[in-house]
Amino acid sequence: MLSETYVLFMRETKRWVGRKPVLIVSLITPLFWVLLFGKSFNITNMINVGDLALPQEYYAIALKIVEAIRFRVFEIFGSQDYFTYMASGMIVVMTLFQGTFSGVSTVFDKRLGYMSRLMVSPIRRESIYLAKVAASVFRALVLSLTLLMVAYIAGFKFKEGFTVIDLAAAIVVVTLTSLTFTSIFMLVGFLTDSHEVIFSTANLVNLPLMFTSSALFPISQMPEWLRVIAGVNPLTYASDLVRYFLIGKSMSDPWLVFAALAAASLVTLVVCMKLSVRALDK
Amino acid sequence: MAETSIEAVKLVKQFGPLTAVKGVSFKVKKGELYALLGPNGAGKTTTVKMLTTLLKPTSGEAYIEGYSVLRDTIKVRRIIGLIPQDLTADDEMSGWENVLIQAKLYGYKGREAEERARRSLEIVDLWGAARRKVSTYSGGMRRRLEIAMSLVHDPQVLFLDEPTLGLDVQGRRAIWDLVREFKKNGITIMLTTHYMEEAEALSDRVAIIDMGEIKAEGTPEDLKSKLGGDKVYIEALTPEEAAEAFSELGQRGFNVKLENSTVIVKVSNAATSLPEIARVLSERRVKAVNIVRPNLEEVFLELTGRRLREEAFDSFRFRVLSHKIR
Repeated sequence: MLSETYVLFMRETKRWVGRKPVLIVSLITPLFWVLLFGKSFNITNMINVGDLALPQEYYAIALKIVEAIRFRVFEIFGSQDYFTYMASGMIVVMTLFQGTFSGVSTVFDKRLGYMSRLMVSPIRRESIYLAKVAASVFRALVLSLTLLMVAYIAGFKFKEGFTVIDLAAAIVVVTLTSLTFTSIFMLVGFLTDSHEVIFSTANLVNLPLMFTSSALFPISQMPEWLRVIAGVNPLTYASDLVRYFLIGKSMSDPWLVFAALAAASLVTLVVCMKLSVRALDK
Repeated sequence: MAETSIEAVKLVKQFGPLTAVKGVSFKVKKGELYALLGPNGAGKTTTVKMLTTLLKPTSGEAYIEGYSVLRDTIKVRRIIGLIPQDLTADDEMSGWENVLIQAKLYGYKGREAEERARRSLEIVDLWGAARRKVSTYSGGMRRRLEIAMSLVHDPQVLFLDEPTLGLDVQGRRAIWDLVREFKKNGITIMLTTHYMEEAEALSDRVAIIDMGEIKAEGTPEDLKSKLGGDKVYIEALTPEEAAEAFSELGQRGFNVKLENSTVIVKVSNAATSLPEIARVLSERRVKAVNIVRPNLEEVFLELTGRRLREEAFDSFRFRVLSHKIR
């Protein structure tokens, strides 16, 4: 079963690599978000006393106030600049975007008859699902890492004492998050024969999930009701973890959250795989 | 049991309120070429899908080389090859890559997988174009690639679903030659088609299927001889003239039928009966005389009252409907 999965994984990946324009297009939107929005929303620079015409005796106090505010900003965002905060969240959002559209290839394989070909061959149905999920997770990883690299060139600030182990931990987090979302939305691809269904579900969930998480803004700044929603959004935990490892923003019980994310991703994978295989044999 | 390769026992498939296949039974011997002939939407593809484990029958059973398509699915899949109606190959990859993936899916590794992929491509005469992207292939080449993809594991039973659909004469000939070659090698072949020439040219036995039921079964010769020989269509200038000719021919002991201004005479051999018919008709004003030799198209017409291809529109609706229900 592993070798079948590998063969099918390579097929999907080869097709993806062969289509460079698609690769570039899927990077453009998140890059725009990070570079244009992230860079222009310069919170630290908003609080500045440099050119204020203040009497001498107030100047020192003003500087103290600015320092206090900046400390608060750091507390909330875990970084002095919003760009770093946002880029680390967008790495996770990328996996959501990639995941919600993952069912498209399944729908096309069904429509073009390739799925029938797979289904008359003596392979386990599970390997069809696993290969598709694995290929989509791989794509999400490549895109996320590319985003991180571009962000680094554009001035992303890693935490002090950042090591390869932190990077590896962040990659694992991104993988698990991607696995969770892809498993769920791949199931949609196995259930439907229409790519419109995929596109509309993706459009339906992408933005709400992104905004009701800590990916773009810290939860602590949200109204009470929104905080409740963000508290159950897996994207929140994923972005918090990535920030914990990459920029050192503090969070409570990171390892517990890590374990919960791992467990959640495995459970969704197994459940959605079973449901997808059942849908195939209908 | 050694003699039977494919056996269908009262196969039924229902899609919601629609019964696509209504209790189909037949046996195909080892090495035999069996054709399901019928218009689009007759239930041919649904039958093939049940035989190849792609669809679960609503009721009934089927066996391939003694293995049940319901219980021994993996064993069945190992020994069958399906060439589906759709073109399934990845057109962004080369023919070689497509066939190689297929070989690997059947569990062959490294050298052996490559060897089998090469041999399959050679059989269908695509080795020369193997490294080209499939998007550059012609329709006939794509169809042959589909066949190559289904050959990598040396199937004992081959299912071809409308293998020449949409091909030009040349492309069709190439496929026919391949099918004959497979038959020579002892592969059991089941073919579905709505081209009667195809069924007639290739098959040992034909089942005529319509509205999900097998209407007749036998060798093409058997089926044609049931028609009772040739038909002579005599088109008179007026219905009155036709009626006259009708009664005169009847008096001479001919088997005649009258349809408006056309008289249809059934004879065992038109070549020897024509002189006498002509003598009778010498007094009549006749516009045209047509001789129709028995063919499967005529057999189908006789059995169902319809032609094989005039159903195109309805069957399209049928397909859309059954697709939606599924």
